[in-house]
Formats: sequence, structure tokens, C-alpha cells
Amino acid sequence: MLPVHPQRSTSPWRLAFAEFRKNKLAITSVIFLFFVTALCILAPWLTSWDPVKINIRFINKGPSAEHWLGTDKGGRDIVARLLYGGRTTLWICFSISLIVTSLGTLVGSIAGYFGGRVDSWLMRFTDLVLIFPFLVFVIVLKAIFPDTGISIFIIVVSILGWGGTARLVRSKILAEKENEYVLAAVSIGCKPSIIIMKHLLPNVITTIIVQAILIVAGMITVETGLSYLGFGVPANIPSWGNMMSDAISPEVIKNQWWVWLPSGILITATILAINFLGEGMKDAFNTKK
Amino acid sequence: MSQSKQSVGAPLLEITNLKKHYPIYGGIFRRQIGSVKAVDNLTLTLQQGETVGLVGESGCGKSTAGRTILRLTDPTEGSIRFEGQDVTSIRGEKLRQLRQNMQMVFQDPFASLNPKMMVGHIVSEPIRNYNRIQEKALTEETMQLLERVGLPAEAYYKYPHEFSGGQRQRIGIARSLALKPKLIVADEPVSALDVSVQSQVLNLLQDLQDDFKLTYLFIAHDLSVVKHISNRIGVMYLGSLVEIAATDSMYRSPLHPYTQALISAIPVPDPLKRKERIVLQGDVPSPANPPTGCAFHPRCVHATAICREVRPQLHQAAPGHQVACHLYTT
Repeated sequence: MLPVHPQRSTSPWRLAFAEFRKNKLAITSVIFLFFVTALCILAPWLTSWDPVKINIRFINKGPSAEHWLGTDKGGRDIVARLLYGGRTTLWICFSISLIVTSLGTLVGSIAGYFGGRVDSWLMRFTDLVLIFPFLVFVIVLKAIFPDTGISIFIIVVSILGWGGTARLVRSKILAEKENEYVLAAVSIGCKPSIIIMKHLLPNVITTIIVQAILIVAGMITVETGLSYLGFGVPANIPSWGNMMSDAISPEVIKNQWWVWLPSGILITATILAINFLGEGMKDAFNTKK
Repeated sequence: MSQSKQSVGAPLLEITNLKKHYPIYGGIFRRQIGSVKAVDNLTLTLQQGETVGLVGESGCGKSTAGRTILRLTDPTEGSIRFEGQDVTSIRGEKLRQLRQNMQMVFQDPFASLNPKMMVGHIVSEPIRNYNRIQEKALTEETMQLLERVGLPAEAYYKYPHEFSGGQRQRIGIARSLALKPKLIVADEPVSALDVSVQSQVLNLLQDLQDDFKLTYLFIAHDLSVVKHISNRIGVMYLGSLVEIAATDSMYRSPLHPYTQALISAIPVPDPLKRKERIVLQGDVPSPANPPTGCAFHPRCVHATAICREVRPQLHQAAPGHQVACHLYTT
């Protein structure tokens, strides 16, 4: 006889969500990010201009009815490039964040839970990754293999980027495993993998999620920064960073605002929104019922 | 293991000279410079179906003893035999299988339940860990368990933060019962609760003992709580037993000066009845650097030269009454 179960009562997640909804800034950010992402994904249906093909007749034209935000030095529509560029940039940043968070969580939780020798070996390895000169490595790599594509970029940045998350997760797990419910889990016969996945991770996942979100923002900076310098996304693929690199000459900055201002604003707004979202989630998760 | 191997009256649990020392590292080379002797030479036997109370002040090693007995931490020395089988150093899957027979009720009802898990899942998890059982049968069994410990079946769908301390402790008890263990180590199960709730939980534990044929090792720092539930009581001081006796005998004629002081400190709810209170001088010595001879001698009014030099062993002072004190050796 199963009693009619009442509304699956107030889980900690529901409480956090209720708290999050009160945060107007964070909600606005979510809506903004949702729109930006949706527009980028729907790019092929929203604009008929080709973001890649060079059109000599329209080089460096200002905004007009045809080209809402004008064209760049290749005669390509800025709006189309913003949308397609967003696809590239957001895809890169989400993938990196996902890989970095998974790797970091894996290494960090194993090190934190088992401690002892496992911990010291894994953390020495993490230190090695952390001290790796990231920028130099990427530049040298690009110099040796100039034709690397987006996936190589994602893999390289991910492999060099998980150290911070691993350390964070490890420290959280170290603190969390002192709770008696972990000892209780051992005494009722849970295997280590179950203890980590069912008991420890759900209690530190909020920190991990917030960290993952902030990594997305950080990776937008990395992508735009590297692409601006010419070491990121290949120049023939539109990305927000590649659009910014058009502004490398003072001539463009002075006279053709439409080439760099829209992408600049979009990048800044997106990074801000992601950070507001992250902060809002952090606050929502940390409120005591 | 099997019923046949176990002769009648054979002890369920035999602990012999159990030691748990935590190393202290120091100096620039982080070498071991000493150790905290949390449990030092504990010898204790639990018969099937009895309740043994283990008392002592904070830091005397009661909780560490409980955890070491359940192999939640590894003993440094000594042996633990469960149903005649030596379990001192088994590990891995063998140890995991053994855990079905010995469970723990924890002290802090707030820290001992995973806040992110539904109560039903907390209570059913032990069963899930050992048996393949249909989801529906498992839910039903879990609800019965919840009802058995005095909670409504609907508690299944709630989260720990929706319950009070006493109710949470009941959840913890239901979890420890789920595997129908033979031994339950209760580590100060009521010390975090209100006095009014304490007796309810104690009564529940007693009822469950009859129903499930449980053997309890009941750890507490409150003598009046242990008196209520125990058949025998062991008094611990600085990691080892100083006296162990049947409850009556212990309260009627405590032998060890430390036990006498503890018993004199039990408050009597009668303003007219004044009794002489023995107030101990000094503090509990550090378990990292225990005194020579009898660990209690710096605080003992009866201490003599031999107490400072020779460590007294537990010996029979009266039938069923053992004490580790030089005053009773002749």
C-alpha cells in the first residue's frame, strides 16, 4: 500500500530555485543569455548574408537598411558575423567548461576522498598542469601547426585548464567528507564510488556548477583574447574574437565604429550576464532555509 | 558465522587489548614524534542480546573505541572477534559484507544524514547496497521501518531538514536497523537531544532490542542515561577501562575512585536529599602524554607510590565486577 505521496516536498533544490527567482539581476541575465544563445543557434534562419564569403562591392560600408550594422573589411555583414561568430564562441566556451569541469571534478573528488598517497600524487600532477605556461604553449603550438581547427583549440585549452577546478573540488570534498553521514555511508556498506557520486558530489555540486558557469565567462575572454592576437580560432571562421581582431588598426577604431563596437558590447554584456548568473546561483545555493 | 559454529553463550563480540594510536608528526622532516593514545588496551566482551554501556568524559576515547570496533577506523593493535571470527584486519569486500551485521547510530542527528537525500532513500540505502530487491517491495519495507521507529510513512518523501532532532535520530535508527544487524554501536545517540525527547528515543531503542534481538554497545557520557538502558556498564578513563560491572553493582558499590566521583556527580531531583559530592582536582591528562603507572593517579586522593609506577590491570574484585585499581589488590 503506497500512500498517495504528497507533493514531493521541499527538496533543497526547490528551495534554492525559489531563492534564485527573487534575484532580478540574475533572472534578467538568464533571459538575456537565453536570447543571445537562441539567436546564435538560429543564425541560418535569421540572416541570409554569408558570414564568410568576401563581397568586394560592400567593403567597410556603414549601417544601412540592407546591412543593419554595416560591413567589415571583407564586405561581410556584421550582423551575420555576430550571430555565426556567437555560435563558434559560445560552442567553444561551453565545451571547454564542460570538459574542464568533468576532468577537474573527477581528479578533485578522487584526490579529496581517498587522501593520502593518491591525493599527493594527483595534486602534484595538478600543480604541474597549473604551472604550465599556457600562453606560451598556445602560441608555440599555433606557430608549429598553423592550420589547427576549433576542436584542437578546445582540447588544448581544456587539458591545460582543469587544475583550478580540481583544486576547488578537492578542498570542498575534503571539508564535506568530515561529516558523519559519510562515515554512516561507509558503515552501511557503500562502495567508494557510490559515496563519491551519491553522497559527496550532490553536496558540493552547487560550488561546481557556479565554478563551471564562471569558467564559461572566463573562456570567452580567453577565446576573444587569443583570437584577437591571432592565436585562437582560425581567421577564416567567424568568432567574436576574430571580429575584435579587425579592430587591431587605429584607423578602424577611429572611423569605423560599427566594425568593433557591436561585438565589443556583445562580448562584455555576455560575460557580465554570465557572472551575474553565477553570483545569483551562488547566493541562492548558500541561503540557509 | 553460521549458527551451528556458535556455541551457546559464546560472546557476540570479543575485544582484546584494542589500541588506536594517532601519530603526531613534527619537526622539519615531519617524523613521528609521538602518538595520541585514543584507545589504549581496551578489553571488552559483549554477550548476545545484552546492552553494555560505555561511559567516560569527553576525550576519553569512547567514540574512537566504537568506531574502531566497527572497523570504521583501523585499529593499531589488539584483536576484534565477531561471532568467533577474527575481523581485526579483514578489508575490502569481506569487510563490506561484515558491515551488514554491525551498524552504528551516530551522535549528531544533523550531520549524520545526507541533507540532499530523501529520507526514504537514506533509510533504504543499506538494503539497496546488499540486496537486489524490487523497487516497490523496497519502498514498502522502508515505510514499515519508518513506522516502526515512530515516524509516519509519508516521511519517506521528505528531506532531513524538515525534521526535528529527535525525529532525525529516529531516521538514523531506522537506517541502522534496515539490514537487521546483530550489533548496534550507539555513539551518544541521545546526547544531542532535549531531555524530554531523550527518554522517548531510549525507550524506542529498548523496544527495538526485544523485537530485533539486538546487542547494544551504548556509548554515553551521562551516567543516568546509561543506567536506564544497560545490563553492564564499563567506565573508561584515558583510553582504557577502569571498571566494568553489572549496572546494579556499579551504582550500589562503585569501586574505582574515578567511578565514585562520576556517580557522586549524578544530580538527584530531590532538594532535601543532599549527598556528598566528590569533586575531582585537575584536568584529564593529555592522551598524547599519559601519566606513568595508573592514568588516574594525578587526580586520585588515594594515590600511593605503586600507583605512580605500575599500571593496574583489570581484575575481578567481586563476582562480575572488574576494576583496574591498586586499592583492591591484596
